[in-house]
Amino acid sequence: MDSLGAQGLSAYSNDPKTQIMRQIQQEANMQNARILVEKLNEHCFERCVPKPGSSLSKGEETCFTACMEKYMTAWNTVSKQYVARIQKESQQAGLGGSTGL
Amino acid sequence: MDLSSTTGAGAGLGNLDLSKLSDRDKQELQTFVVNESQRARIQASIHSLTDTCFRKCISPGAIKKGALDRNEEPCMRNCVERFMDANFVVLKELEKLRG
Repeated sequence: MDSLGAQGLSAYSNDPKTQIMRQIQQEANMQNARILVEKLNEHCFERCVPKPGSSLSKGEETCFTACMEKYMTAWNTVSKQYVARIQKESQQAGLGGSTGL
Repeated sequence: MDLSSTTGAGAGLGNLDLSKLSDRDKQELQTFVVNESQRARIQASIHSLTDTCFRKCISPGAIKKGALDRNEEPCMRNCVERFMDANFVVLKELEKLRG
């Protein structure tokens, strides 16, 4: 979750412009985190709790921890690859290609 | 991550005096919003790609290790690249239909 990090907006400045920017960025980051948690839960529950019992077993919990880590690693891998690809494509488009993004 | 925190955060801007914004500030905000929207769109694509590729690349069954293994990692990367390739094929075909 590091490759698209927010540019540091001073947390102490109080002029309206900075306040609005900070607000927008907070909401965006919150939204991003919310989707990640949702997807993570969806995938890992499917994987780790195929038949829900009367409580979450130790094994299921271990699976969940590993699954969360794996999903976030996967997210970062996809992020790097995707950003590199769109950068490459837009460079090519800039050099006279017609396939714009 | 509950509702009250979301709405509470939004209300934080309620007492802002927007008339204090200079033209330069407005210009800067405009650029900022354009950039943030793009960032949000890219992040949304990353979420959707991770979702699709995780299904395809991560071996079925319970998950034992947090790291991606030596098959999963290249599979995730290939998955992104091929998805983009496929996306371009679709765009090209549509272009043809239009022209």
